[in-house]
Amino acid sequence: MSATAPPIDGVPAVALDELLRSMADDELVIGFSDSEWTGIAPLLEEDVAMSSLAQDELGHAQALYALLADFTGTNSDAIAYDREPEAYRHCRLLDHGRGDWAMTIARRYLYDTADAVRLDALAHGHWKPLAELVAKLQREERYHRMHATAWFERLARGGAEPRARLVAALDELADDAATVFSPLAGEAVLVDAGILEAPMAELETRWRGALAPVFGALDLPMPPAAHNPERGRLDHGDAFRWLHGEFTMVRRSDPGATW
Amino acid sequence: MDIADAPAIEAWEVFRQEKEGDPMRHGGSVMAPDAELAVHYARELYGRRQESVRLWVVRRTDILDLDDPDLLQPPLDRSFKKPGGYVMRDKLAAAREAAGQPKPKARSG
Repeated sequence: MSATAPPIDGVPAVALDELLRSMADDELVIGFSDSEWTGIAPLLEEDVAMSSLAQDELGHAQALYALLADFTGTNSDAIAYDREPEAYRHCRLLDHGRGDWAMTIARRYLYDTADAVRLDALAHGHWKPLAELVAKLQREERYHRMHATAWFERLARGGAEPRARLVAALDELADDAATVFSPLAGEAVLVDAGILEAPMAELETRWRGALAPVFGALDLPMPPAAHNPERGRLDHGDAFRWLHGEFTMVRRSDPGATW
Repeated sequence: MDIADAPAIEAWEVFRQEKEGDPMRHGGSVMAPDAELAVHYARELYGRRQESVRLWVVRRTDILDLDDPDLLQPPLDRSFKKPGGYVMRDKLAAAREAAGQPKPKARSG
């Protein structure tokens, strides 16, 4: 297969590339962000749990990059680590620094619930390698969502300070909360080909439908529409530049080395 | 729930089953503030490497603890209650001799 041959007839490789890259970069970045808690989580058990979740996400990123590497003629490590920060396509929701525990839980809750809607829309798609991978990811993400929900509700109902911190975190994330659903340039083609069930805007509506009863019950303000959805996966700021420096550090220390 | 009456962190005992049909064996314990997180942490510490098909998570204080030596380690000699109190070897050898049968060879398998 040549490096740019589309893996599925009638779908430009660039459209699949964009979809896989956005999903994989999301998983990579939240994985590395959450791994920042290793050693300093609120409880030893939570430390193990959060580190393990973070590792799961890196595993998901690796599997998605591998799918991408298959038809772009490169490898997962090169895609994950050899790009400049500007070239990453994760959503801006994941561009905020680690923050406190409430920030981490708020971000994870918003991301996991959105990711679940996205995975549902891909699980029965016509591109088998992706649909099969998504079915596996869904099984692991189910547990991630249970964990995030447990903490989200705990903080929301946990008295004055935990709640105030959660509300502050949601407020800081508000403008970027919906950026998981930033439109993809090639999404119409993916929808026509039956790979993606619906455009991102429709998926965002489904996500809001799922969140509304939870936010209502907890008396929390629903996230507003994304400030600038067209740039929802661009313009990564200093927090991401720092994280990128961290997670590429070892690889950059000896480019081309065999590990 | 107000933070003031938030439950204290307590110990939960975790039992695990390695495969269907195996007995549940004690795996260890986790510390958690309630059942929900105890289950999450049990899963992380005793199940995330696919080493278990089932976990039981039990609040330690719910376990009925019996360690009274009067009940478990009575002071009088009870060796007559153990099968070791009856040595069969010599009686069996005498019976075989009386019957004129040789000692059977050790069975294989």
